[in-house]
Amino acid sequence: MNAPTPALVARPERLRLVGQRRQILALMHQRLMFGMLVYGGIIAIIALRLIYLAAFGDHAGRKGGEIDLTPERGDIVDRDGQALARTIDAWTIGLQPSKVIGNRLDLARKMAELMPEKDAAAYLAMLRSNHSFYYLRRRAPPGLVSAINALGEPGLALEREPDRLYPQTSLAAHVVGFTDVDGKGNAGIERAFDEQLRDPARRGQPIVLSISSRIQQALEHELNEAMTHFSAIGAAGVIMDIHSGEILAMTSLPQLNPNAAGQGTPEARFNRATLGVYELGSTFKPFTVAMAMDSGVVKSMGQMYPCPDALHAFGHTITDTHPFGRACSVSEIMMRSSNIGTAQIAAQLGKPRQEAFLRKMGFLDKVNVELMERGRTLTPGSRWGPFETMTVGFGHAIAVTPLHLATGYATLFNGGIYRPATLLKVGRDHPAGKGHRVFTEETSYKMRALLRLVVTNGTGKKADAPGYRIGGKTGTAEKIVGGRYTSAAVVTSFAGVFPMDEPRYVIVVMLDDPKATAETYGFHTAGWNVAPVVSKTVSRIAPMLGVRPDMNREPNMAEVLPFVQEKAEQ
Amino acid sequence: MSARGFGSVLSAGAVVGAALGFYLVSLRVASERASLEEVETRIAMTQRDIRLLQTEIGTRGRLAQLERWNVRFIRLSAPNADQFVDGGFQLATLVAPQQKPAIEAPVVLASAPVADQATQPTLTGDADVPDASSHASRPVSEMMHVASYSLPEKPAAAKPTESRPITVSTAKPMKAAAATKPVKSATADPLSPLPGTKAKAKGTAPAASAAGISSKPQPKDSVTD
Repeated sequence: MNAPTPALVARPERLRLVGQRRQILALMHQRLMFGMLVYGGIIAIIALRLIYLAAFGDHAGRKGGEIDLTPERGDIVDRDGQALARTIDAWTIGLQPSKVIGNRLDLARKMAELMPEKDAAAYLAMLRSNHSFYYLRRRAPPGLVSAINALGEPGLALEREPDRLYPQTSLAAHVVGFTDVDGKGNAGIERAFDEQLRDPARRGQPIVLSISSRIQQALEHELNEAMTHFSAIGAAGVIMDIHSGEILAMTSLPQLNPNAAGQGTPEARFNRATLGVYELGSTFKPFTVAMAMDSGVVKSMGQMYPCPDALHAFGHTITDTHPFGRACSVSEIMMRSSNIGTAQIAAQLGKPRQEAFLRKMGFLDKVNVELMERGRTLTPGSRWGPFETMTVGFGHAIAVTPLHLATGYATLFNGGIYRPATLLKVGRDHPAGKGHRVFTEETSYKMRALLRLVVTNGTGKKADAPGYRIGGKTGTAEKIVGGRYTSAAVVTSFAGVFPMDEPRYVIVVMLDDPKATAETYGFHTAGWNVAPVVSKTVSRIAPMLGVRPDMNREPNMAEVLPFVQEKAEQ
Repeated sequence: MSARGFGSVLSAGAVVGAALGFYLVSLRVASERASLEEVETRIAMTQRDIRLLQTEIGTRGRLAQLERWNVRFIRLSAPNADQFVDGGFQLATLVAPQQKPAIEAPVVLASAPVADQATQPTLTGDADVPDASSHASRPVSEMMHVASYSLPEKPAAAKPTESRPITVSTAKPMKAAAATKPVKSATADPLSPLPGTKAKAKGTAPAASAAGISSKPQPKDSVTD
């Protein structure tokens, strides 16, 4: 490194040697120090890590994640917290043919004994096939699982997997809906709130419906009884709180068991309350009268209209089931459900105002509710002329869902404010829908006595439940069979409100194609088959809803009674 | 020298002891935490079991099932409007006992003949005099009757005592007849009345069977054959 220089004191070799040694020594010391630092550092890191783990770390026995109680899919509960849909761990029995070690024939025989849905030959074929996996049973009962386990065959796989269970079976099946095999919502709330039910952040909290199980059960039972009794092909019913728009019960019959939704017929899976649209007939008449009163066409319940036996208009003839053959007042028109009288009121009202009112009530759009199964209403559309205005006035040539009708009656009797229906419980998390005014408060008040009259003196007498002050309107609409209206098949409905002196709840029931029976004297009109359903249902549910029966309270009948000439016979 | 040497050893020992103490504290904390977690796990497991059982109870006691039981066996129905009461007062009227005179202090009216009262001299001797006079004429119990809404009918009261023997006498023969009849029938039942009716039935049977009743047994016979 250094050039040899002439040494004066010492020999240069020695000096050079000493310098080299020192240098090498220093280098070695440096290297040694570096190595020690590296080792020390590593040990320090390990020690620090150990200290950190001892102070803040988890211990070895921790069971992470397993005790997490969040279900795989959120619960659905009713307004009182009763479960309508839950996800539980169910046993699944599977078969892996390649892993079978025992005698296949024996195993097939034993399997056929335990699970008799297939015979031994079918099981043997499955055991000998090249498939890797078969599902033998989903949602297997514990007894079967332990019996299968006792076989001790490694090829039979027992697993737990989350399964959707509907503890109340068919109760509110069309509201709650159902899921497919993979746990994806296929109908009802399960479909409408699928994302929320699956979202890990939100599925811990159940979805609280506005449905009340007990009220739902009462409605379903009474409606089902009427449906079987009158051999109807279907039925629907809605009970709603008129102030908040909460649907307390909504059903569609025939019943559907969501636990085995795949086995239900398409007829049973069809939601008649929100997806089916029907011409609901005379139940529309109160709307026409209310529109006319709001527009100043009808100024008093005593306003008279000529009511001949038949009204000829625009090349058609309108008839009545209970013809007057004289002049009649608005009260009588409603009491006896006169098409002729209502048609004249509607004609005076005119198409623009009628359409505007119907639009404000939401009758021209799909019904406003959380479900996805919503039917499109049918209106005369471009053919909406003067005659159609008349027929729409008494509920023909316009088809809406029963839920539309319930919303409409709620609008009419809650003081005139339209509020969208909701299936979620109204509370802090979910405020009531924003409303807008359709009818004046005065009209709403006057309609109370008019509809109470229908039940006390008119076509809806059988809907009365003593003390509960039910008011409402019957409706019998002919069905279109083969392009023509026929009186052989009808859709009967009743839309009622109770208690009429201070309206709180609306009930709409509908029977699709009920048949006449001996005790209805051959009639299949609404007054004979759906009206009793309302009476029975209300006397069951009203005490639960806190409506006290009172024989001494009535709406102000002085509004209408002076204008009724005679007592109706029927 | 030696003190300094021991000093370092002692300080090293102190450091080791402190480290060990810290470690023991940490170990204790960890074990506490572990047991806490175990409790938490058990709580969670119990909650899961509760949920499962609730689901099972809910499924078994579902409303449709309760309704079915009610329709078939229990038969409860919704209360009528009359079954609701306004308050405690109305409820009390429902359970009030039947109106009847109080037994402890009945309103007693005396009905002694006017003439007797006129002969009574003064009110001072009330306690003794009426006793003597009433005992003379009739017993006290007859002169007193409890006030009530129904008019006391004296002749009617007298009549039952007379008619009672009559009713008894009429009843007795009836009872006697009833008593004798079973004896007869008990002995005669298997023999005399039945053969008579059987004979009658047999006598009428061909006519009835000719009318078409006999068509019923025939198919039965053919079925059993």
